[in-house]
Amino acid sequence: MRPSLIFVAATTLLAACSAGDRAPKSTQDAGGTLVLALPEPQDLFPPLVNEAAGRLVTDQVFDRLAEIKPELATIGDKGFTPRLAKSWKWSADSLSIAFSIDPQARWHDGKPVLASDVRYTFRIITDSAVGSPVAPLVTNIDSVSVRDSLTAVVWFKKHTPAQFYDVAYQLVIIPEHVYGKIPPKELHTSPVTRMPVGSGRFRFVKWEPGVRLELVSDTANYRGRALLDRVILIATPEPNVRAVKVLSGDADFMESFPVNQLSQLDTSRVAGPVPYPNFGYVYMTMNRYDPKSPTSPHPIFNDIRVRRALAMSVDRSSMLQNVFGHNGRIAHGPFPMTVGYADSTLKLPSYDTVGAKSLLDSAGWHPAADGIRVKNGQRLKFTVVVPTASLPRGRYAVLLQGAFRHVGAQMEIQNLDDAPFYARAEKSTFDAIMDGYTTDPAPSGMKQRWGSEAIGFIPGKGVSGANSMRYSNPRVDAALDSATTTFDFARSKKYASRASQTIIDDVPAVFLYDMFVTHALSRRVTAPPLRTDAWWADLADWKIPADKRIDRDRIPLAQATP
Amino acid sequence: MRRQLAARLGQSLIVVVLVATISFFVIRLAPGDPFSFAGENIPFSVRDHWRHVFGFDKPLLEQFGRYVLAVFRGDFGYSFSRKGDVSSVIADALPRTILLVGLAVFLSFAIGIAAGVLQATRRGSWFDRVSTGVLVFFYSLPDFWAALMILFLFAHRWRLFPTAGIVDPVSYDYWPPWRQLVDRVAHLVLPLFAFTLVTVAAVARFQRAAMLEILPSDYVRTARAKGVPEQGVVWRHALRTALTPMVTLLGLMLPAYLGGAVFIEKVFDWPGLGSLAADAIQKRDYFLVTATVIVGSIVVVIGNLMADLLQMALDPRVRE
Amino acid sequence: MNRTLRRLLAHRSARWSLATIAILIIAAAIGPMLVPYECHTQLDIVRLQNQPPSWAHPLGTDQFSRDVLARLLCGARISLAVGTLAVAMSMTIGTVYGLISGYAGGRVDGAMMRVLDAFLSIPRVMLVIAVLTLWDSVSLAGMIVLLGTTGWFGVSRLVRAETLAVKRMDYIEAARALGTPTSRILWRHILPNVIAPVIVAATLAVGSVIALEAGLSFLGAGVREPDASWGSMFLAGVSFSTSTWWILFFPGIAIVGTVLAFNVLGDALRDVLDPRQLHAPVMTVASSVAAPIAPERLENG
Repeated sequence: MRPSLIFVAATTLLAACSAGDRAPKSTQDAGGTLVLALPEPQDLFPPLVNEAAGRLVTDQVFDRLAEIKPELATIGDKGFTPRLAKSWKWSADSLSIAFSIDPQARWHDGKPVLASDVRYTFRIITDSAVGSPVAPLVTNIDSVSVRDSLTAVVWFKKHTPAQFYDVAYQLVIIPEHVYGKIPPKELHTSPVTRMPVGSGRFRFVKWEPGVRLELVSDTANYRGRALLDRVILIATPEPNVRAVKVLSGDADFMESFPVNQLSQLDTSRVAGPVPYPNFGYVYMTMNRYDPKSPTSPHPIFNDIRVRRALAMSVDRSSMLQNVFGHNGRIAHGPFPMTVGYADSTLKLPSYDTVGAKSLLDSAGWHPAADGIRVKNGQRLKFTVVVPTASLPRGRYAVLLQGAFRHVGAQMEIQNLDDAPFYARAEKSTFDAIMDGYTTDPAPSGMKQRWGSEAIGFIPGKGVSGANSMRYSNPRVDAALDSATTTFDFARSKKYASRASQTIIDDVPAVFLYDMFVTHALSRRVTAPPLRTDAWWADLADWKIPADKRIDRDRIPLAQATP
Repeated sequence: MRRQLAARLGQSLIVVVLVATISFFVIRLAPGDPFSFAGENIPFSVRDHWRHVFGFDKPLLEQFGRYVLAVFRGDFGYSFSRKGDVSSVIADALPRTILLVGLAVFLSFAIGIAAGVLQATRRGSWFDRVSTGVLVFFYSLPDFWAALMILFLFAHRWRLFPTAGIVDPVSYDYWPPWRQLVDRVAHLVLPLFAFTLVTVAAVARFQRAAMLEILPSDYVRTARAKGVPEQGVVWRHALRTALTPMVTLLGLMLPAYLGGAVFIEKVFDWPGLGSLAADAIQKRDYFLVTATVIVGSIVVVIGNLMADLLQMALDPRVRE
Repeated sequence: MNRTLRRLLAHRSARWSLATIAILIIAAAIGPMLVPYECHTQLDIVRLQNQPPSWAHPLGTDQFSRDVLARLLCGARISLAVGTLAVAMSMTIGTVYGLISGYAGGRVDGAMMRVLDAFLSIPRVMLVIAVLTLWDSVSLAGMIVLLGTTGWFGVSRLVRAETLAVKRMDYIEAARALGTPTSRILWRHILPNVIAPVIVAATLAVGSVIALEAGLSFLGAGVREPDASWGSMFLAGVSFSTSTWWILFFPGIAIVGTVLAFNVLGDALRDVLDPRQLHAPVMTVASSVAAPIAPERLENG
C-alpha cells in the first residue's frame, strides 16, 4: 500500500510540474495576422508530408505525443516535453513505453484524442499502400497497442538511444475517425486529406491551391490558443518575389532571403534578418547506376576516378563566395556543421585541376577535338537535375558547368519544379542531381541518406528510404550502427566521423555547402528563438504586440470566412 | 440562316474532335509515362490502379475513343501537381482568363478601331506617321518584356498598383464588398494595360487598312454626295462596313490573345489558364498541360463561332 | 526584282531596318570572333562577378563573370538561326499545304481546311509548351523543328486564298488545257504569283519567332545554359535587383530592336510589293502567333 501512495504522490507532483509547462500562455495580448511567403505546400496529410511548407502546416494543425526541446537532445527522453501525451512510463526492459494521452486533448471537430488514434497513425505510416516517407524512420517500432482509451503502448524491437525520439519526433498523430474511413490506397488523392483536422493550437481554415492557405487560432485548445489570430501562407514560388513582398511589408516572413540582397534587409525598417543555422547541406550526387536501367552501372560515374576527378575540378570556396558573398558555410562532409557529430577535420578532395585532368587521362578519358573527353565512343557528357526552388543550387549548377568544362566534361542543366524534382530524386532517374538534405539532429539521420537499409528505389517495388542514390558501403553501415547504438556521445561522434570519412573517400557526391540561411522577419513580429530543425515549431507563440499592429492584424478572429 | 448556323456548329464540333485527336497523339507519342508523376512515394500498385482507371492498359483504338468521350464530358484526368481533378483546376482558372482576355479584347478593339479610323482619315499627316511608328514599336515588344517593364515601373518603382495576383491574398476575404471591388479593379489595371498595349497595334493597323479600302469606295462617295456630314460618313457609314472584317479579325486573333495570356498571367501572377500553361513545364503535369491546349482551343472555337454569329447579325450580305 | 528593291530602298524606314538587320547578321557571324572572351567562359567567379560596363567589358559581366557582350553576340547567332530556320520551315510547309488545298478544291480542300481550322484554333504558345513539357528536354534543333512545325497554319490559309484566286485566271486554264502536269502548273505558274504575301509573312514571322523563343526562354523552356539566347539572358537578369541593370537592359534592347527591324521591313515590303498582286490583304497579329492571316471572304465558310 505505502509504496503506491508514494508513487501516487510522486506522479501527482510530476504532473503538477509538467502541467505548469503547458499552462495557457497569457492571452490578453493575443492577436494579429501573420503572412508567410513560402512555396506552395504539396501535402497536408502528415504521413505523406515530405517538404518544408507542408510540414509547417501539419506541425501547426497536428501534435506529436511529445515535442523535442530546442536543445535537440535525441538520446533518451529527457530532451522532450509532453504534448498529446501528458506522461509516459517505460517498461522495465525498456522495450515498450506506455503513453498517457491528455484527457483534455480534443480534435478540432470536438472529439477526444484517443489511444486508438496513435495506433491508427502508426498503422497508416507503415502501410505499404500509403508509401509514407516516414516509414523507414520508424523501423525500430514494432507495433502500437491500446491498453485503455487513453493509454497507448508503443512496442520496440530493440532498446536504442533514439527509441523515444523515433516515436516522439516522427509520429504526428492523426484522427482515426476522420481518415479511417478512406481506403489507404486512396489517401493520396482523397480530398479529405486536403482539409486537415488535428489537435494543434492552429486550426485549418482553407486552402486555395496556388494562392493561399489559411490557419486560424484554435481558441478552445487544450494547451491554450495560439498567440496569433491568423496565419496566412501565400504561395510564392519565386524567391525574388518573396523578397519583394517581405521588404514591402506585404508578407511578414520568408525563408532563405536571397543572399545578394541582404544589405537591403539589413537597412530595411519593415523587416529584419534572422540568421538561421539549420541541418541542411547541399551536394551534387553522381549516380553510380545507369538511370535508364537501374541495375546496370553508369557508363561514366561508375568509375571512382572520374568522380574524384570531377570533385577535384571544383573550387568550392570560390563558388561559395560567388554565390553567398561572405555569408556562406562550406560543407565539410555528408553533414551540416550544426549537428553535434560534425567534424571539420575530415579530408575532402582538394581543388586541383591539373590533378583532375591527369586522373581523367589515366582513367582512359581523352579530350576530343571540341575539348570534351571521350572514351570508347562515349562522351563525358551528363545532365544534372536542379530544383527551380533553390536559387543557390541553380547558380552552383552553372558554376559547376564551367568548372567541369575546364577539365573536359560537358554537363547539361535541367531545371525542374519541386514535384518532378523529387520524383527524379526518389527513383534515381538522373545522371547527377543537385541534392540537398535536411538531416535529423541525431546520427540516425546519416543512416537515412547513406545507410544501406535506407536504399530508396527498389526496381519493381517502389520507394522506401531516402537513400535514393543507392549508396552502399558495409563499413559505413557498421560505423553508423555503432554510432547509433552507443550511449556515449563522444564515442558516437567518433564513429560518425569514421563513417563520414569513408563516405567522402568513396566520392559519391561533391559536397558543396551548408544550408546556412538568413530568414527575413517583419520587425513588428516578436518570435522566440527559432528551432534549428524547424523554424516554425513555436509558431503558436509568435506575437504581434498591440502597438505594432497594422490593418490586417485587426481582422477580428470571430469573423467568418466565406 | 439556320442551316448555316447548324453547319457552323457542326464544323466547330469537328474542329474540337480534331484538336482532341491531336492532343491524344501528342500525349501518346511523348516519351515517359503520364503516371510517372511527381513528388510522392506512390507505390507501383497505386500507379497501376490509375493506369487502369484511365484505360491505359486497353487497346489503342479503345483508348482513343474513351479519351475523346472524356473530353466531351469535361473529364481531363487528374492533376498531380494540383492534387485535384484537372477539370476543377481549369474551372477555377478559366473564368479569370476570360475576364482578362475579354476586357483586353474590348479595350484593344475599341482603342484600335478608333486609332485606325483616325489614322485613315488623316492619312499621310504627322499624326498618321507618328502614331504608326509608335504602334509598330508597341507591336514589336515581346509580351513578357512589356509586362515586365510595366510591372517594374508601376508596381515596384512607383508603387501605384499591386504587384501580383487577382486580389489581396491576405485581407480580401474580410473586406466589405465595395473595398473588394476596388481591390479587384486595382489588380486588373496593370495586366490589362500590358495586354492592351501589345495587341492594340495589330487592330489599329488592320482597321486603318480596312478604312483606306472603304473610304474611296462608291458606297461612301454616295453618302457624301447625299450631303451626310464628313463625321457621319466616316463614323457611321464607312465604319459599319469596315467592321465586318474586324469581327473576322477578332475571331482570328483569339489564339494570339490566349497565347499572350500565358506570358501576361505569368508575369502578373494572374492564376488563370495561361499561368497553368506557363507553370506546366516545370511541373511536368501531363494531364493538366494537354487540358490547357484543348480548353484553349475550345475557347477559340467558341469565340470564332460567336464572331461569326455577330457577323451574320451585322452584315446582311454575309448571310447568304 | 530590281524595281522592287529600288522602291523598297526609297522607304526611309526600310533603309533603317535593312541596315539594322545587316548589322545584326554581321555581328552574329563574326562578332563572337572579334570579342576577346568566349560566351561561356566564367572568367573569375569571385572578382569579375557582376561588373558594370567598363573598357574591359563594354556591356559588363553577369553573375557568373561571363562577358555580356560576348553572350549577346552568341545570343544573336542563336536567335537569328532559330528565327530564319524555323520560319523557312513554316513557310515551306505552309506554302505547299496551301497550294495543294487551293488547287485541289472540292472535298480534298474542304477536309484539309477543317484540319487547318483545328490547328489554327490551338494557341501556338500553349501547344509549344505542351510539347516541351511532355518531351522533357529539347535540343536547339528540336526547338527549331517545333517552332517551324507550329508556325505554318496562317501561311497556308494565305496561300490557299491566293491560289484560289489565281487558279481561275485564263493562263492557268490554258496551261491545263494544253495538258501541262499539275506539278509544273503549281511550280511554274501559280507559285510565283502567290509568293509575294509569303515573303511579307516570312519577314514578319522572323520577328515573331525571335520574340516567341525569347518568351519561351523566359519561361524556362528555351535554350539552356551555358548557351545564351537573349530570352534566357533576360531571365537571369530579372532575378537580380536593379543594381545590375546591364544584365537586363542590353538583351532587352536587342530583342526589341531586332523584332522592330523585321516588322518595319515587313511593312515596307507589303507596301512595295504591288498591291494589285495581292489578291487578299495580308495582315499580321500580335507576336504570340507568328503567322499572318488573311481575313477570309466568307465564301469559304
